[in-house]
Amino acid sequence: MTSGFGATGLLTPLIIGDVLGALDSIGVPVVQLLQMADSIAFITLAAIGLTVIFGMMGVINLAHGEFIMMGAYITTLSVNVVGLPLPVAMVLGALGTAAFGAIIERTIVRRLYGRLLDSMIVTFGLGLILTQGTRIIFGNSLQSIGTPFGEVPGYTYSAYRVLLLFAAIAVLGGAYLVFTRTEFGIQARATIQDAETARAMGVDTDRMYTVTFAIGSGLAGLTGALYAPSATIVPGMGQSFLVESFVTVVTGGSTVLLGTTLAGGVLGTIDAIFSNLYGNFIGQIALLLTAIIVIRLLPDGLTGLAHTVRDKLGERQ
Amino acid sequence: MMDVTLPPQLERIGNKLNGPNTLGNSRAFWAAFAVGMVVMAAYPLVQGSYAAGQFSLFLAYGLLALSLSLIWGYTGILSFGQVAFFGIAGYTYAIVSLNLGGPFGQTIALPVAVAAATLSAFILGYFMFYGGVQDVYVAILTLVVTLVLETFMAQTAGSEWSIGTVALGGFNGIPGIRNFALGVEGASISLSGSGFYWFVLGVLLAAYLGARALVNSKYGYALVAIREDAERTAMLGYNVKRVKLAVFTLSGALAGFGGVLYATWGNYMDPSVFSLVFATIPIVWVTLGGRESLLGAIIGTIIIERLRLWFSVNASEFAIVFVGVILMTTVLLVPRGILPAIKDGYVFFSKHGLRDGLERGRTTIQTRLQAKLASLGIGGSETPPSSEVVRE
Amino acid sequence: MSDNHVSRRRVLATGAAGVGTALAGCGGGSGSGGSGGDTIKIGVLEDRSGNFSLVGTPKWRASKLAVEEINDNGGIMGQQIELFDPDPQSDNQRYQQLTERLIQQEDVDALWAGYSSATREAIRPIIDREDQLYFYTTQYEGGVADKNVFCMGSTARQQLGSVVPYMIENFGTDIYTIAADYNFGQLSADWVKVIAQENGASVNNEEFIPLSNQNFGSTISNIQEADPDFVMAILVGNNHSSFWNQRTSAGLDIPMGTSTVMAQSYQHKRLEAPALQDVYGGFNYMEEIPTDRNEDYVSRYYDRFPDAGYANQESVNNYFSMYMYKEAVEEAGTTDQEAVRDVLEGGMEVTGDQSPEGDISLQGPVHHMTHNMRVMRCDAEHNITVEDERQIPEQFLSETVGIDLSGEDSELERQFTPTEYYDAAGE
Repeated sequence: MTSGFGATGLLTPLIIGDVLGALDSIGVPVVQLLQMADSIAFITLAAIGLTVIFGMMGVINLAHGEFIMMGAYITTLSVNVVGLPLPVAMVLGALGTAAFGAIIERTIVRRLYGRLLDSMIVTFGLGLILTQGTRIIFGNSLQSIGTPFGEVPGYTYSAYRVLLLFAAIAVLGGAYLVFTRTEFGIQARATIQDAETARAMGVDTDRMYTVTFAIGSGLAGLTGALYAPSATIVPGMGQSFLVESFVTVVTGGSTVLLGTTLAGGVLGTIDAIFSNLYGNFIGQIALLLTAIIVIRLLPDGLTGLAHTVRDKLGERQ
Repeated sequence: MMDVTLPPQLERIGNKLNGPNTLGNSRAFWAAFAVGMVVMAAYPLVQGSYAAGQFSLFLAYGLLALSLSLIWGYTGILSFGQVAFFGIAGYTYAIVSLNLGGPFGQTIALPVAVAAATLSAFILGYFMFYGGVQDVYVAILTLVVTLVLETFMAQTAGSEWSIGTVALGGFNGIPGIRNFALGVEGASISLSGSGFYWFVLGVLLAAYLGARALVNSKYGYALVAIREDAERTAMLGYNVKRVKLAVFTLSGALAGFGGVLYATWGNYMDPSVFSLVFATIPIVWVTLGGRESLLGAIIGTIIIERLRLWFSVNASEFAIVFVGVILMTTVLLVPRGILPAIKDGYVFFSKHGLRDGLERGRTTIQTRLQAKLASLGIGGSETPPSSEVVRE
Repeated sequence: MSDNHVSRRRVLATGAAGVGTALAGCGGGSGSGGSGGDTIKIGVLEDRSGNFSLVGTPKWRASKLAVEEINDNGGIMGQQIELFDPDPQSDNQRYQQLTERLIQQEDVDALWAGYSSATREAIRPIIDREDQLYFYTTQYEGGVADKNVFCMGSTARQQLGSVVPYMIENFGTDIYTIAADYNFGQLSADWVKVIAQENGASVNNEEFIPLSNQNFGSTISNIQEADPDFVMAILVGNNHSSFWNQRTSAGLDIPMGTSTVMAQSYQHKRLEAPALQDVYGGFNYMEEIPTDRNEDYVSRYYDRFPDAGYANQESVNNYFSMYMYKEAVEEAGTTDQEAVRDVLEGGMEVTGDQSPEGDISLQGPVHHMTHNMRVMRCDAEHNITVEDERQIPEQFLSETVGIDLSGEDSELERQFTPTEYYDAAGE
C-alpha cells in the first residue's frame, strides 16, 4: 500500500503516530483534531480551484466538479494502465487538467468576460458534456487505486487523509508564493485589478487570463488527483465536491488566498464538530447556515471581515 | 396594409401588453400569436388525449421558465432556486390535498401551495436582498439551498416524518396525488388528458399576458433598469431592494403554480425536483429560448423538453451530451436566445428585403469568419489579440 | 420586383407553420394497435446513463440476453418478442413519460422498469391507472402490495435475514449499524433491529449517512470507539463506496455485514484489495457463485456482452423473470394481462438454466419470490466464497401482515413498513 512512496510510506504513519501520541498525552483531543484536519483539508482543496478562477477572473466555473474528476481520472489511469508511480501520476493529473483548462479558456471562456452569468451557463454545458462523455468513453466506473501509507498506529485513521491537511496548506502556501512573489503573479494581479493599465504597461493580458484559468483548473485537477486514492472513480464524482466548494467561495469572499484559508478553516471546523455530534446531515446543514449567516452579516465574506479588522487595527496606530 | 381601428377597450389592452420590453408588439406578431394559440388549442383534438396529457407537462414547465425569465432575464438576477419553490408548492399541495381529501381538499390545497411557495420566496428573497448579497452570490446561495432541500427531503423516510396522515416519503416521495380537481363533493371537475391540457394552457396564457403587462408597465422599466445598472437605479430614487424582493416573490408564486400542476400531472412528488440537474435545466430552457423574452422562455422550454424526450428514445447515452452542446453553442453563437435572434432576423429582413438581406448576411459572416481565423493565428493579418476580450 | 418588406401574410403563414411543425412532432405516431399482432411486445426501462447507469446497464443487458435467447428458441407461443427499451436516464420524469408511452403507444404486454424504489413509486400510479403488468426487479426494502406489481428482487428482510443471524452466530451480539440516510437504508436498519431481537442480539448504535457524503473519517472513529462485535453496513451509491478504502486504510478491522455492497455495484472488482476484506453479504445472487449452471450463465452473458463490467444481483432477477413471464403466458395461452396475472398468482417455479442462482419459486398471493439466499464472504484478496446457503421465503407480507393479492386483497396498492408491525423497528 506504499505504492511509489517507498521508505517514506513506512515512516510517515509512524511519525504522525508519534506526534499524535505526544499530543494525546498532554490532553489534546486527538480524534476530534483528526476529524477537523480531514474536514478542513477537504473543504479547502475542494474550493481552491474554484476560488482562483472566481476570485481572479470573476468566472464561476460550473464544470469545477468535472475538472476535479478529470484530475482523478488521469491519475487513476496513469497508475493502473501506464504503471506510473502515484506521485508522478498525481502531477500528471494536475498538469493535464491545467492544459485542458488552458484550451477551454482560449477557445470558449475568453469570449465571456464581463458576461458572468453566461460563463456559468457555458461551463455548465461543458460539465454535462464532460461527465457523460467520460461515461461513454470510460464506462461507468474505473478500477480505483489503493490508499497509500496505511493507518496511523494507535488511531483508527488513515495517515494519508491526515497528510492531505498538509497538502492543503502546501497548496495554499504555494499559491500565495506564486501570486505574490513571482513576476507572473504580480502581472496577473495587476491584470485583474486594472486590465487597461496593465496592458498599457506591457503585460500580455490575454496570456495572463489563460495562465490563471489554467492554474485554477490545474488546482482542481490536483484536488481530484489527491483524493483519487481515497474515493471511487466514477464520472459523476465531481458532484460531491460541489456544495462544499460553492459554500466556501461564498463564505470566503473576494480574495483568493485569505478568503479560502479563513473559510476553509472555519467551515472545516464547524463541519467536523457538527458531524461528530449530530451526524453527517446536520454537518451539511451547519455549513449552509454558516454560509448564510456570514453572507448576511458580511457581504464580502470573511475577506471583508479580515479587511475590516486590519483597517481597525491600522486606525488605532 | 389593413388599417383596422380597434375598439377603444382593445386598444387600451393592447397598450398595456405592448411596449419596448417585449419583443413582439406589432399587429403581425399578435396575429401570428393568435394563430399559434388556435393551433395549440386544437392540438388535443388532432393528436388525442394521451399526447395532450404528455404535452401539458411541458406547458407546466413553461410557468417555471416564465418565472425564471422574470427574475433573470428582466431583473438580471440568476436564481437556481426557482425549482425550490416549484418543489415546495408541489409537496405542500400533496400534503394538504391528501390530508383533507376529496375535491374540496384539492381546491384548498392549490392556494395553500402557491402561498407556501410565495412565502418561501419572500423569506429567502428578504434574506438575500436586504442582506446585501451580491447578485453572483445569489446564484450560488439559491443553488446550495436547493441542494440542501434535496438532501433533507431524501432523508425524511420513515413514518415519523409525516404531516397529518401523509408521510413525506423521503427518497421515495409522495405517490398517489390525485389528478387536478376543483370544486366540492358532488360538484367538482377533475382534469386529465385533454381537459388538463386546456387548463394548463389557459393558466400559462394568463400568466404570460400578465407578465407582459407587468414588464411593459412602469414596474417593468424598474426591473430592466435594475438589470442594467442597479446602483444608478437606486440613485434615481427607486427602492431597489424592495423591487427585487417583489419580483423574486412573484416569480416564486409563478414557479409554485407550476409545481402544483407538475404534482397533479405525474401524481407524484419526490426530492428529484431539488436535484442539481433539475435546478439547472430551467437555465438551459431560458437560455435557448431567450431569457429577455417571455415567449422565448416558454418556447425554449417546449423545444428542449421535446428534444430531450426524443433523445432518450432514440439516442440514449448521447442525450445529455447533445443538451450540453446545444447549451454551449447557444450561449456562444446566439447569446440572446432563439426568439430574440428570430426577431432580429425579422427586423433585418423587413428592412432590407429578402435577397438583399441574404447578401448582407453572407458578407458579414464571411468577414467575421476571416477575423476569427486571423485572431487564432491562421490566414495572415495580425489582429491585436486583446481586441475581442471584453464584449459586453 | 421583390417586396420591400415581408408581408403580413407571410408572417402569419410562417408563424402557424412553425407552431404546427413543433406540435406535429409531438405525440409521435398514431394511436396504438392492439396487442393482438404476431409479436409479443415487452417494455424494458433501465438506466444506461445518469446516476444509476452503473447498476442499470447490467439489468438492461440481462433482459436483452433473455429476450434474444427466447427469440432464438422460437419465442413465446411461437411469437417473437419485440423489445422496446429506451433509456430513462436515471430521471423519474423521463420514467413517467416513457412508461405512459410504452403503455399507450406501444401497448406493451409486460413492463420491466426501474432501479430505485423512487422510480417504482413514480410510475406506480400510471401502472395502477392502466392496470399494466409490471415486474420490479431490484432488491428493495420490501412491503409493496400492489395487484399490478410483481417484485422479483429479494427484500431487505430476506437479505438481512440470511446474513445477520450468521454474523450474530459467528461474531457476537453487539451490533453497530451504518446505513444510507433514505428510505431503503432506514427501513433496512429497522429490519436489522427486528432480526437482531429475534436472534438475541441488539443494535447498540445506529448512524445514518446522507447519500452525497463521501468522507467517513468521523464514522470510522465512532465505530472504533464503540468497538462492536460486528457492523452492519447498508451503504448505497457511488459516494458511499469510498467508505471501504477509507476504513481499510484507517485500520478498522471489525467484520462487516451488508445487503448492498458487492453484489450490486461490484466494489470488490473496482476497489483495490484489501478494501473489502472480511465483508459478508446476504444476497440471492453474485456473479461468483460456483455452480455449474451459474458459470454457464456468466459465460453466456460475457459472450454476448464482452465489454460488460459485471453481472450484478438485480440483473439476474431481470433474466429469470423474463423466462418466468414466458412460462406464465404459455400456461395462460394468451398475453392478456389479467389472465397472465392469474396464472402467476397461482405460484410458479423457476428452475434449471432459467434461474442462475438456483431453483426458486414465486409466492403467488404476495407477488414476491422465495429466493436461494447465500452469505458470501470477501477475503483479503477479494475472492468470494459461499459461507451459508438456504431458501428464504418472503415472510413480511405473507405471514406478518398476512395478505392475499389473488383473493380478498386484490385491490391493494400500497407499501407496508415494519414500524407498523414491530415494536423493535420503531425505536
